[in-house]
Amino acid sequence: MPVIVMASPKGGVGKSTCAVLLASEFARMGADVTVLDCDPNKSLTRWASHGVPTGVTLRSEIGRSEIVPTIRSADGDGKIVIVDLEGVASQLVSRAISQADLVIVPMQPTALDAEIGSEALALVREEEEALGRSIRHAVVLTKTSAAVKSRVQKELEEQLRGAGIDVIEPSLVARAAFSELFAYGGDLTAMMNDPEMMTGGKVDKALINAQAFAEAVYERLK
Amino acid sequence: MSGSNRLAGLKARPKDTTVEEVRRVDEVGEARGFLDRTPRKKPGRKPSPRTYQLHPKVFPEVGQAIAAEAEDRGLTQGQLIEEMWEIYSSARR
Repeated sequence: MPVIVMASPKGGVGKSTCAVLLASEFARMGADVTVLDCDPNKSLTRWASHGVPTGVTLRSEIGRSEIVPTIRSADGDGKIVIVDLEGVASQLVSRAISQADLVIVPMQPTALDAEIGSEALALVREEEEALGRSIRHAVVLTKTSAAVKSRVQKELEEQLRGAGIDVIEPSLVARAAFSELFAYGGDLTAMMNDPEMMTGGKVDKALINAQAFAEAVYERLK
Repeated sequence: MSGSNRLAGLKARPKDTTVEEVRRVDEVGEARGFLDRTPRKKPGRKPSPRTYQLHPKVFPEVGQAIAAEAEDRGLTQGQLIEEMWEIYSSARR
């Protein structure tokens, strides 16, 4: 099954959040999901320390020399591999991209995120050329406003689409539940069903957003 | 999104990445600033576990002989004294 790589040399754009949401949703659908935490900040390992959803396996502390064999060993029929990368420009990132069936570049709708995130997009295209095969890639805008689409976001989407870049709809809205997943572990469904978990946000809306995002990613994996 | 039958349609797509291809990927990445950022080991020698100090005053010729013997054998004076102590301890047993 496919290898999905979260890549952006910028930190704090939502790579780990995307990885957790996709892992949870695909596991809920019945897939055997392996998540590779390649980020020295170990966000996913922290999330997993509170409990992982059924069907999700986490592997952490994967370095530059282990990334290719680890992805290969985790891949197989009935399995989805999700790779969460560090927010720096490193060889670990370029090697992981070379193994991807889909590279997702999360980006907040800001000029800085777009500029740094475009480095990852450029790298994907150069790797395609070097390897002589296409590597599907797409941008997802993150931490967007739930109420209105800002002018900056509209302009950024136009620019990306104008440059021939696939932009995943829907964007991931700034939701307290997304960030609190890392405090509670598990997934949004468990969060919604457990009255002890205080999110201070609308978990149901977050879940709808996450499911629509996972659906959009699934469409790109077919 | 529901039903695992949809996911069953997604098959493994192994990629034949050879050593040569990995090298090319590294080159492409390096040209764009995606460098090897594996943490390096701390430079310099490891601290010695020999932390106890002796300050014996001996006759100059004895001190010079100990220093010369240690140097000849490629040891520190501390290592030589440890060896001497070992021999002394064994002899006493």
